[in-house]
Amino acid sequence: MSDISRRTVLTATAAAGATILPAALPSGSIDDLVSICSGEARAAATPAATPSSATTPDQAPRTTYLFFNDQEAALIEAAVARLIPKDEQWGGALEAGVPNYMDKQLGGAWGAGERLYRSGPWHQGEWTQGYQLPFTPAELFHAALAAINRDLATAGTPFAKMSADDQDAYLKKLEAGGQDLGGVPSDVFFDHLWELTLEDFFSDPVYGGNRDMVSWRMIGFPGAYASYYELVDQHGIKIDRPPTSLGEDLYRHIHIDPNIPAYAPPNNK
Amino acid sequence: MATLLKPVDVVTIGVGLTGSLAALELGQAGLKVVGLERGSGRETVPDFQSPPIHDELRFAIRKAFMQDNAKVAVTFRNASDQTALPIRRWESFLPGQGPGGSFVHWNGQSFRAQVADFIWRTHTIQRYGQKFLDSCGPELTIQDWGVTYDDMEPYYARFENLCGVSGKAGNIKGQIQPGGNPLEAPRSGEYPNPPQKEPHFGAIFRKGAESLGYHPYPQPSSNLSRAYTNPLGIKMETCIFCGFCERFACPHYAKASPQTIILPVLLQDPNYELPALCEVLRINLDSTRKKATGVTYVDDTGQEFEQPTELVLITAFPLNNVRTLLLSGIGEPYDPKTGNGVVGRNYSYQTTGGPTIFMDESINVNPFMASGACGTMIDDFSGDNFDHSNLGFIGGQYVGAIMTNGRPIEFHPTPTGTPTWGLEWKQAVARHYNHTILVQQHGTSASSRLNYLDLDPMYKDAWGQPLLRMTFDFPENDIRMSQYIADKVVEIGRAMGGKQIIRGGTKRPYSVTFYQSTHNAGGAIMGDDPKTSAVNQYLQCWNVPNVFSLGASAFPQNITYNYSITIGALTLWALDAIKNKYLKSPGPLVHS
Amino acid sequence: MPGGRSPRFGPLGFIIGFVQAQTQQPSQIARGAVIAAQGTPTGAPPCSQCHAFNGVSDASGAFPRIAGQSAYYLAKQLRDFASGVRTSALMTPIAKALALSSDNIADVAAYYASLDAPFLPLNPPDPALVKRGEQLAKIGSDKQRVQACDNCHGPEGAGEPPAIPYLAGQYAHYIDFTLDTWRTGFRKSSPESMEVVAKKLDDQDLAAVAAYYQQVRGSGDVGAPQ
Repeated sequence: MSDISRRTVLTATAAAGATILPAALPSGSIDDLVSICSGEARAAATPAATPSSATTPDQAPRTTYLFFNDQEAALIEAAVARLIPKDEQWGGALEAGVPNYMDKQLGGAWGAGERLYRSGPWHQGEWTQGYQLPFTPAELFHAALAAINRDLATAGTPFAKMSADDQDAYLKKLEAGGQDLGGVPSDVFFDHLWELTLEDFFSDPVYGGNRDMVSWRMIGFPGAYASYYELVDQHGIKIDRPPTSLGEDLYRHIHIDPNIPAYAPPNNK
Repeated sequence: MATLLKPVDVVTIGVGLTGSLAALELGQAGLKVVGLERGSGRETVPDFQSPPIHDELRFAIRKAFMQDNAKVAVTFRNASDQTALPIRRWESFLPGQGPGGSFVHWNGQSFRAQVADFIWRTHTIQRYGQKFLDSCGPELTIQDWGVTYDDMEPYYARFENLCGVSGKAGNIKGQIQPGGNPLEAPRSGEYPNPPQKEPHFGAIFRKGAESLGYHPYPQPSSNLSRAYTNPLGIKMETCIFCGFCERFACPHYAKASPQTIILPVLLQDPNYELPALCEVLRINLDSTRKKATGVTYVDDTGQEFEQPTELVLITAFPLNNVRTLLLSGIGEPYDPKTGNGVVGRNYSYQTTGGPTIFMDESINVNPFMASGACGTMIDDFSGDNFDHSNLGFIGGQYVGAIMTNGRPIEFHPTPTGTPTWGLEWKQAVARHYNHTILVQQHGTSASSRLNYLDLDPMYKDAWGQPLLRMTFDFPENDIRMSQYIADKVVEIGRAMGGKQIIRGGTKRPYSVTFYQSTHNAGGAIMGDDPKTSAVNQYLQCWNVPNVFSLGASAFPQNITYNYSITIGALTLWALDAIKNKYLKSPGPLVHS
Repeated sequence: MPGGRSPRFGPLGFIIGFVQAQTQQPSQIARGAVIAAQGTPTGAPPCSQCHAFNGVSDASGAFPRIAGQSAYYLAKQLRDFASGVRTSALMTPIAKALALSSDNIADVAAYYASLDAPFLPLNPPDPALVKRGEQLAKIGSDKQRVQACDNCHGPEGAGEPPAIPYLAGQYAHYIDFTLDTWRTGFRKSSPESMEVVAKKLDDQDLAAVAAYYQQVRGSGDVGAPQ
């Protein structure tokens, strides 16, 4: 499903992407930009990364999907909410904006096969030889998600409507392997899903996940600004300053940039 | 149709550590050197500055400083009876790219080898007997290097001074020094800089190891403990323990890499040329097949060039050295069925994997405050430092608390029995993240006639050339070795106060699906016999005397330690031979 | 807001207190406020005489802005003055007098760390100097082999508490002067980092970096209309 206004906005912001310093977007996320351009009220008046109280999990952010269709997005949101659930103290993958990150990664260069050796022939091989399917990450997700949604439509209950226990059981079944999801073995799909969830949950929020640095605050990781000469030999000291993102400015706004290429500076070759 | 360029004196294939050293030394000898580098140029300022460089996803997970698998990969299989398949994404090892090579994204762990390492075959037979060696594995093909530690010592000192290695000597000319490693090979002098500060995990390990009678010492580090001016007059700065060392580049001029220790001087040399984005296809030989005439490469517009030269130095990532020799038809390729041939023979790796120690939750480990080489370790189980008589294996591992980071995508340990996802997993991660210590076991990799490199018959790179094929599994010897040491290390973990311990130890089969080490070695090994080595003791190709293959590809088997400093020393040794012997009288330096 | 997370810049552009490695207790802050206002029985004069009660000091730049500075860092400076690692005709006797009672330094540091304070209106800086300063702050200098200040001093100079102070909004004169004390080796703290870096900079660089940081108010505007 195409939405011209959304595509246009993505191009404009993507162009600001591949520089050394984070793109100086107006404060907020791509979500907010899109809502401005399509004339909706700027619902979240504060920028997406405004820090909030450490003791209650945030609401799941409103995400504008550019890669996942509605059914895929619904399944992904429900799945990641089980993979890393929220609890009383800390938000989980959904609240951290993991579906947003996944959407941007799969819709971007990495999803299209950045850094992937893509020539055949393709043989299954031993587990020690690693991934040997012809799918790019984007193709893998589309194929597998479509197959899962088809299966569940036949069975009657979409994943998002299942009980939490049933969802967990379904995920465990995928994890165990043995099913063919449109050419993708279910355990391979699960591994990719889990890997992306993990990355999104723990990566720098500049990519659109780990919103509000929830995972870093949860574990006590201070983030991208890291200079510890004076502190390293103060054994056992507790560091509880707020974590810092590589995309943040003096106001703690995080200038989101999901299109940072997976290549080395300066000219990304 | 290749464009023919003006001849030069020397071409280096690759401008990483060995390529920079070669260009520096030979340039100082007055030669015109061209360094052909596949990647593009980068400098500390602006390219390595944080915060952009402190991006775990980009550099540690997506591997931005590494060779691009989309263009060139390696195929892999555990044994000859399997079909090798492409390593479609790097995981187990991470070959670097760009000027500086892997010496940009390394950790700075800066050990020397042991005396016995250079004569491992002779030493083992002398101490334990031929029968013992055979019983460890009839397939093992360990060899002596053709140089001794005494040959290497002055070059170790020179290279350490170039890097500014920060450490404490434990043995100076046979005298044991307090505060250092009493089990190290004798040094002629102290390190150029004192050791780095000891983080919390190191201090805890130290206490535990000492309580069991072991000899902990500070890890020698090329992340500098203080500001330093190296012998070339290049200034370096103090490492600030940012926890973004391996897989990243240093913003602070504090990690030894060609950018910080060599290039500022080298790039001033008007006789040096560094065309970047050049893919070397092969070395060209004359009709006798005994002399290299030049090198063919393709630039980033797809144009082919021929660079004529008098001397070719293969100075790429070790796997790529071997591939270059094979693609150029230099030396007889190894045939595992007959055991004949030398190029691709004796490929080895590193035997790694230590325990995870979960500590009491009152102990803040703060692993994110670390450099790449600020560990505390023991050599009591390294190499042949302990009696192997009734143990049934050769080789050893160093053991130490060598945490280098707390980057959460890579590091979120949970005890055995924790579910692998879900609420309990998440809560376990939060509970244990800052109260867990990783202890590393890192050791020898015996070479075997079963482990080798050759050209893949099926898969090609973006330039249409065959990929390198790697056939490798850990010899059973190395498994027994690491499992024995794993038990000892669990005891250290308990002495450290560990509440729960996930035992270490390496298992077969070797898999390329998770990171272990980037210390690939061998495949173009040095020795004194052209039947069992590809290069002589000066790293000169036996068959083609104006081609030298510099780097870890020359190691007959891999040593206990991270090998960068040994590579530096060996390279300086070879370059001295080139400057003082070869240039005066080009031709074979060793007559077999 | 001691102990709590808060935006670095509130809507009116004030710097609000950072979270410290040791959370400041209200009792510490209250005692510190008294010392700032009245001095101590041990002979330390009121901090407010030079640093103002709100930590803004004055526009001369002779005394650094300390409002909202890291308490750990402030305390360390006072200890350094007391011990001789730093030397100042003014601060040395004051720090020694404070140090006579073990809680004073922690209290007064806690107080000033807790403060919001406005920025004084100052003459606009030379734009060329600011541009050069921004370059050094965010990227560094390849020619001089000096890394970007923000590597350690945080996003746009926000500081990296607890150990590394903010530079954003600090007085240019004070930054320039302080870098020079490192350049000459006079200031003996941070010999491994700040002295090394300062020695790579010339007078123009010092002035540039100082001019830049004095006027930093962040690259985004909270609440500004789109």
